[in-house]
Formats: sequence, structure tokens, C-alpha cells
Amino acid sequence: MTATQDPARTTEEGPDRPAFTYIGKDRRRVEDPRLLVGRGGYIADMKLPGMLHAAILRSPVPHARIASIDVSAALEIPGVVAVFTGEDVKAHMDPCMNFGPATITQYPIAVDKVRYVGEAVAAVVAENRYIAEDGVDAIVVEYEELPVVSDPRAALEPDAPVLHEEHGSNLGYERTFEFGDITAALESADLVVEDELHWGRSAGMPMETTGAIARPGHNGVLEIYCNSLNFSYLQFLLAAALRIPSNKLKMQPVPAGGSFGSKFTAHKVPTLAGFLALRTGRPVCYLEDRLDHLMNSDHHGSDRYYKVRMGFTKDGLITGLDVDVVDDYGAYMQFGVGTHGNALSQAVGPYRFRDLRYRLRAAVTNKCQQGAYRGFGSEVHNWVLERLVEQGAAKLGIAPEEIRKRNFVLPEEFPYKIPGGNVYDSGNYPGVLEKALSMIDLEHWRKEKERLRREENRYIGIGIATTQERSVFSSTEFWFWFDEPPFPITSSPESATITIDPTGAFQLLLHCQAMWGNSPETVATTILAEEFGIEPESVNVSYADTSRALPGTGPGGSRFTVMVAGAVRGAARKLKKKLIDIAAHTLEVAPEDLELVAARVQVRGAPERSLGLPELAASAYFFALNLPPGMQSGLEESYTYDHPYTTLPSPDRSDLGVFYPIMGHACHIAVMEVDPDTGMTKFLDYVAVHDAGTVVNPKSLGGHVTGGAAQGLGSTLYEELAYDADGQFRSSTFLDYLVPTANEVPPFRIGHVETPSPYTEYGIKGGGEGGRMVTPSAVSAAIDDALREYGMHVRELPIKPADIVATVQAARAKG
Amino acid sequence: MKPPRFLYCDPDTLDAAVALKAQHGFDALMLAGGQSLMPMLNMRLASPGVLIDINGITDLQRVVRTDDVLEIGAGVRQSAIESDEQVHAAVPLLARAVPHIGHVENRHRGTVGGSIAHADGAAELPCIAVTLDAVIVVRGASGEREIPAKDFFQGFLSNACAPDELVVAVRFPVTPAAAGTGFVEVARREGDFALAAAAVQAELDEQGRISRIAVGLAGVAATPVRATAVEDRLTGAAADPDTVAAAAQLAADVVTTGDDLHATAAYRKHLATTVVMRAVLAAVADAEQRTQNGSAS
Repeated sequence: MTATQDPARTTEEGPDRPAFTYIGKDRRRVEDPRLLVGRGGYIADMKLPGMLHAAILRSPVPHARIASIDVSAALEIPGVVAVFTGEDVKAHMDPCMNFGPATITQYPIAVDKVRYVGEAVAAVVAENRYIAEDGVDAIVVEYEELPVVSDPRAALEPDAPVLHEEHGSNLGYERTFEFGDITAALESADLVVEDELHWGRSAGMPMETTGAIARPGHNGVLEIYCNSLNFSYLQFLLAAALRIPSNKLKMQPVPAGGSFGSKFTAHKVPTLAGFLALRTGRPVCYLEDRLDHLMNSDHHGSDRYYKVRMGFTKDGLITGLDVDVVDDYGAYMQFGVGTHGNALSQAVGPYRFRDLRYRLRAAVTNKCQQGAYRGFGSEVHNWVLERLVEQGAAKLGIAPEEIRKRNFVLPEEFPYKIPGGNVYDSGNYPGVLEKALSMIDLEHWRKEKERLRREENRYIGIGIATTQERSVFSSTEFWFWFDEPPFPITSSPESATITIDPTGAFQLLLHCQAMWGNSPETVATTILAEEFGIEPESVNVSYADTSRALPGTGPGGSRFTVMVAGAVRGAARKLKKKLIDIAAHTLEVAPEDLELVAARVQVRGAPERSLGLPELAASAYFFALNLPPGMQSGLEESYTYDHPYTTLPSPDRSDLGVFYPIMGHACHIAVMEVDPDTGMTKFLDYVAVHDAGTVVNPKSLGGHVTGGAAQGLGSTLYEELAYDADGQFRSSTFLDYLVPTANEVPPFRIGHVETPSPYTEYGIKGGGEGGRMVTPSAVSAAIDDALREYGMHVRELPIKPADIVATVQAARAKG
Repeated sequence: MKPPRFLYCDPDTLDAAVALKAQHGFDALMLAGGQSLMPMLNMRLASPGVLIDINGITDLQRVVRTDDVLEIGAGVRQSAIESDEQVHAAVPLLARAVPHIGHVENRHRGTVGGSIAHADGAAELPCIAVTLDAVIVVRGASGEREIPAKDFFQGFLSNACAPDELVVAVRFPVTPAAAGTGFVEVARREGDFALAAAAVQAELDEQGRISRIAVGLAGVAATPVRATAVEDRLTGAAADPDTVAAAAQLAADVVTTGDDLHATAAYRKHLATTVVMRAVLAAVADAEQRTQNGSAS
């Protein structure tokens, strides 16, 4: 039996929506002034007295038993303080946090075996990083090489070499969910399209890598300064790995210079820094360099091989979707298969079909582990869906925009429960498509495409994609895969503390590390401004360390704006009540006759009878005898906002429950030119329209759309964390891992549609993962369209120029 | 990504630099713009005992033109020749190729001599040097030598300098006024090393046929190469697109780079023919334009 409950509905939807003063206005980010003058305060900016630096010896081989490690020459180098190996971590700590199978354990330094190129084999701690790297060079390791598992499909063969003996095979996980009757849905279809698709491995590539400084402090407390994002949610797991009580580990938030998923619960770096500090008794800094980060981050992105089928009626209505996916998780499975929970939250996209089968096999291979990358696996499913819809449209001779219109869930159908159980809260998919079509003259480009082909021998393609952009994850997606989950967590709250100081100035304390170059302070102070009528720039924002943090989950799954808005508004309501109670007592009027307007509490209908925040604050702090009887001094309130709408999965998993209901939507249209003889592409136009509910700040949301689209473009055309058949890593520098630059990224023309969520404060939806949810689909379709006469059909990302030219050459050879 | 320990020397004069190089031989590397060397040091792909910083040697920073030779000092920044009208007029192919070297930030630091000495087969300046039969001037303990570009680039990142020698200048022949030039490069992203690039200088006779042509390629072999078969086929030939396209097919034979992460061998061969065809046609069009302008004036 599925737990069903109607979530509280807020009032921000519909024609009664209140007018906002600050929300929805283009405002400059409050974070920018300090960042622009180099006062971001990153890990590399911090220097603690007596601080040592660590460098890591990384495995040059993909799979081997470590026969011996000789560190004696390293220890002789002046300035080298200590060297640690897998023997040390095995003796003095427990395995790292892990949400995957318990039989796949991981330490921050490899124990007994190495399982991928780049895995840590030894850590050298020295007076500076230069000497530490000299120490790394001096270590001698004997490896007994083992057979390599590189292809995830081959990894699942019965005779494949096994990475984790205790686990017994390379199948990390397998399950098939079926909702509806996929066999009947495909049999009844007039057309079934099939495809084999490969989404290649890429990753968020922040300017600043993951880093941590750990210091064994007073009272036996270990302090870890780190730029990992979810420490207040999961700090106790780090403490457990380090074998210290959780109240003796204080994690201090440090701003991150970019994440995009790469610092989402990034655990290996702070865990290792903590271990090294505990063992040496001194502060130790471990900051990944680019080589470390590329080959050993916690967060390579999805790497999936699909066999998929989709049925259509002759009118283009989708009848069902059959997915069989093998996902290459690399050597460890820290988040289990949560990235597929993500895909299931929007498994049918914006479309109405009811029959779905989803078979997942998670393969373990000799590669770096998979983690989070903007989209968390749902962006991959978006691409697969849109590839199939494109193919159906082409085969049925229906225009791509038309086939989508015919299949959209319509505005009057919300809230809409999809096959599998998740609910889409609200939406206006035809409205988003219409907005995009209004921003670009499709008929013009279709004529130009014909003319340029005919007159100038140029190849123009138009690609349309309409995809979902789920936001605000519930933790159930991590465990509903299991019938008997060990830790079926259901909380993912966010907290805020508002303090008005004795002069009436505002302090806002956030309870997670939310700052990674996004706009958490802009968003939170905008909400605060809306509630109190103050200027957002006047608020000072700080972040709690774990010794004082209230429940907080941090950014991830496009949740932060929605969640922090709920937390700030909740705390604001409590604090406003206290202000009004003080004013009521002072002015000798009933509290219900007072209102807070523009930072003053005033009598309704008689605004000249009012008290400003400084006067009220002075009373609250210094004049207890003026306060209502029983009121405590001070002006500080906190609020913990829980997920606005989540339900439990049914025990038999015929219904996965509501776990990602705050559903955004987007439509991108790309016009591209493709050179069939070089495989080079360029953009002639690009329109991106997103609906993220009530927009808090169009400028910062536009930044998410643009940045996400740029990263989507990277995953589509450039970025590849490549391993060869022997398991060697081929993308260890930016010479080979190609991040698109300003030269490759076109000016995206951005539009916003606002369909408020009925379940969140102010009707906000998350939009942080932005364009990456959409761009791969639009670009793939545009390239296919440009070279349709050559039978171009994008099946693999990234699309390399060599693949394009090979397709063209093969078609020409056939004549 | 921190370099191993090295001795840093900062000579003020060329003589002092030559003396240091003679003293340390192959254990010393020259530091000019550092656009290739510093990453190699930081990744510990190079570990010289001595680094000789030649950025302070003003004698290496001159561009001198005589009647038929443009001599560019080894220490001249790439961005300096990019914006130097004298260079554009004397050797137009340099003006076309230099903007393809990395990004402008790289060119502000990177030097002409540094790129030549680094001898990357995918780099633009070595390709132009080979295409134009430039001469590389090197100096060692026993004095100066002039090495033809075709003999200077000896293999993957290796040049013909003796252990005691350093590059001091590159001499480019001044391009005839009527010659046309073309440069076409394809790279994964703007500023990346070429998957394939073609540099062409062509002269036409009075009938519009190709009388002289040089075709160089970057990115397709361990060193920059000339597509001599294409040159031979086109010398004396009509400059129409079909003839050029047919001749360009011969460029595939000089491609020896195999499959790598960014390109397959088959793709590179097709790309080589494509960039050669396009560069030749561009050079021919340029020559026709120059001839028209010349007769008009």
C-alpha cells in the first residue's frame, strides 16, 4: 500500500499570486563583490601554523595486487615527514562512507589491490607540496598485474576477472521495474523504433579542485576545513570512517570554486586529510591538483550503454518505452544506483505514455568511480528519450515540434502521477514550446537550410528538445531499489537562522556549505528582503560548522533555492511574530492590528504609528522590562524546512512513491552548421526556454541555464574521460579532456516561463542543473538533421568530428 | 603538479646564455615563454637540472628585414609578429598562421624561437618554417650554424641542436609580391593543436596556371611535412577546383599519425586532403587577387 498524503498547498499559484518586491527582479549577485577582488577564501588561500602538505602516489596500472611498497628513499628526503600506505589505513581507520553494496568497500588509499589507474597507493606528507611530490617520485611499488575489466558489458560475463572478491562478481546491482504492460504497449504500436546508445563519461570540471585542511585541535577535536558540499548531512559518516566520535569532528565550511556535482558529498579528500592529520598530529592540507582530480575525483559522470525501444501509433502518440541499460560505475559504488532513481523521477519525460520497463545493470570495472554530475543521471535519460522521439518523428514524417505537442501532458492534468509513482507538480509544456518557437523563426531556418544546401553546398541542421528538469530530491531515490534497504532515509531538510542584531542589522546563518560559485546568498537574501523589506545587500551571510549546524542537506538535485527559501521564510515568520509582539506591547495595540512593511512594524491603516527595526531590536536586547511578560531577550529564530512533498515507496515497489515532484521543464532549439569534410560544427542560433516556477532572480537562473548548456555541449561534443581497452586512462590533462571555452559556446538566447509550484514557498522550482538537461538532445538532433542525407544518426557521446566524417564518407562510398 | 628541483639561471646576454648552455649541455633547457615547458615541468615530464631563462636577453627580441630575408629573433613574442605590419607584408603566411597558435594569452608569452625549438609536429610555426624553407639560426660554443628547416625538425619533439646549442633566430625568405598564401587548420577547439593544418604559398603564371607552390602540413606526422607529391602534381597545372581536389588527395600519403583520442588515422588522412584542398584554393584566390591589384596599380 502506497503511503499517500496530500502535501500542503501554498498560495502562490494562479491569479491570486501576490506581487513581489524583490523576487523576480534582475539583481546583481551579492556574492560577486568579494569574488571579483579575490577574497573568495578558498582552501588554497588558507594557511594554518605548522601546516603540512600531502601528495599522492597514484597507480599507473588498472588492476593489480600490491606486492610491496618501499618508502625508505622517500623518507630520506629532507622535508618529508611521513608516508602512509594501504596498510596504515587498514590498521587505523574503517572504510569510507558507502551507499552501495556493503561487499564493495573503499579506503582513501588502496588496500592490498589497486582497481583503476589513478587510485591512491601512498600519501606523502611533507613540509611543502614540492617536497611531497619529490617523495612520491621516490617510492618504489611492485605490482602483480591482474586481468583488466574495461568494457562494462564484458565485465558482466561469467568468466570476467572480478574486482571485488568479497562481492563475488562485477554486477554491482540489477533490477527491472515494469510499470504498466510494456509488451502489450509495443505490440499494439504501429511503429517500434529501436536504438543502441552510449552516453560517454564526462565530469564536472570546476576551476578549483576538491581540497581539505585537517587540524588535530584542542580538546581532542579534529577540525576539517573542506569545500565538500554536504558535510553537515553526512559528517557522522566521516567521523565513523576515522574512528572518532562525531562530536569530536568539526567540519568547517569553505567556499568551493565550482562543483557541478564534483563536490557533492566529496568524501575521499576530507577523509584522507583527516586521517593524515590524525596520524601526524599536525595540520595537513590535501588539495587535488588537476591530474588528481581528472583521474581520481569522487565524481566521474554517468557512462551508460542502452538498448531501448519506443512504440508509436501512426499518429505519433508514444505507446511505451523499454529500457535496458548497463551503467559503468567504475571500481566503487559510493551512491549505489541513485543516478537511476533520478532518471526514474522523469522516466516518461513530458509525455503521457503509461507503459514503461526499466532494466538496470550496474557494472563494476577498472575505472574511477562514478558520482554526481549536473543532472545526476536524469540528463542521460532525457537524451535517450529525445533520441527515440526524434527517430519516431522522422520515421512517421511528423515535424519534431508537432510530435511533442501531441504527446505532452497538458496543463489541466497536474498534479500528474507518472508510471512509477513520482508526481509532476505543475507545468505548461505547450506554453514553453510556444515561447521557444516565438523566439526563433523556424520556417525561416527551414527555408535557409534548403537554400544553403542547394546554392552554397552548406549543411544546416535544426534540433529541438523538450525535456523535464526535476528538482528537490527526496532521499528515497537512493534506496527504493532495494526490497530491504539497510538505511531507508527519508529526510533531506534545510535550515536557516535569522538574527537581527541590536542595531537592527541582519545576520543570516545557513546550515550547509552551499557556496560553490552559484548564488545561494543572492537567493537567501532576496527571500529575506522580501519578508522584511530590507535590501538584500545589507544582510551578512555566514555558514555554520558542524558543531552548531541544524539539519541541512546542501545543494544537489536542484534543491537549494526551493529549500533555503522555505527555511528562510519559516524563520522569518517566527521572527516577524516576535517583532510584532514587541511592537504591540510597546504601542499598546493588538498584534493582529499590526503589520511589518518596509522594515517597520506599523498599525494597519495608521502607518504613522510605527516602530523601526532598530528600536524594536534595542528593546529586544537591552530593555527586557519593556518586553511582553515571559518573552526572552534577543532576536533570533531558526527554522528547519523539510521536503515539501515526498511519500514512501510501496513495499512491493509497484509504486516508488513521490520523490522528485517539483518538476521544471525546458525547450531548446539549436540551429547548427556541420562541415561534412572536417566534422566541425558551429551554432547559427540557439534558443533556451526554461520553466523553473517562480523565478527568484532571472539573472542568476539565466546563469544556470547558460552554464548548464555549456556543460551539456561539453558532454555532447568535447569532453571525454576516456579509458582504452587495457584500462589505461587517456584524459589525464586538459590537453586531452576538452572543456569548451568561450569560443565554442554560443550565445544562448534565454527565455523564462513561470508555472509556479503549488507545493513550495513562493511557487519556486529548482533550475540549477539548467541547460545540461537539454542541450545534448538538441545538439544531437541538429547534427542528425544537418547530415540526414548521409544517414547521420548520433548514437554515442561525445560526437567526435572523426565519427561525423566517417559516416559521411561511408555514405558517399555507397553512392 | 609541482616541478622537481632545478638550478635557475637568468643571463642578461646571449654570450652568457651560450656559455651556460655549453657548460650544462642537455641537462639545461631554455626557458622562454614557458607555454610548453612549464606544464612539462609541473607534470614532471621534463626534469632538467638547469633552466636558462632567456627572457631578459634583448638581443633575441629583434625583427630585422633585409631585401629578401625576414629575421625574427628567438625571443620575439608570437603576439608581436601577429600585430607587426612589417611581418605581414614580408611573410603573409605568418600573419595567417600565428592567430591559430593557442589563445592570445599564450601568444603574449610564447616566443617564435620557443615554438621552433620545441619542434611540435602539430604546431603552426614549425610548419610555416618548413613550408617556406626558412633557416633556423643556432648558436653554440663554437659559433653560429644555419640549419634549413627541413633538416631542423628531426622527430617527435626533437630538433637538430647540439647539446651546447640554442636557437637564436629564424630567417624567413620574403614572399614575392604576387604570391598568394592560404592557411587552413582544423582543431577540436579553437586554440588546440591542429588535427591537421595546411600552409600553402602559390604563384601563378600569366595564364593563371600554378607556376610555383609549396604545401606544408602540421598535425599529421611527428614533424611538420611538405606534401611534395601535391606540389609536383600542381606545378604547371590549372588552378581549378577539380584539379586541386584531385591533387589534394595525394596529401593523404604523408599522414603517418595513427589513431589517437581526438582523431582516427582514416579521419586525419581525409582531413589532410580537405585542408590542403582548401588552403590551395585560398592561396590561388589570394594570388589572383594580388595579380589583379598589381595590374590595376
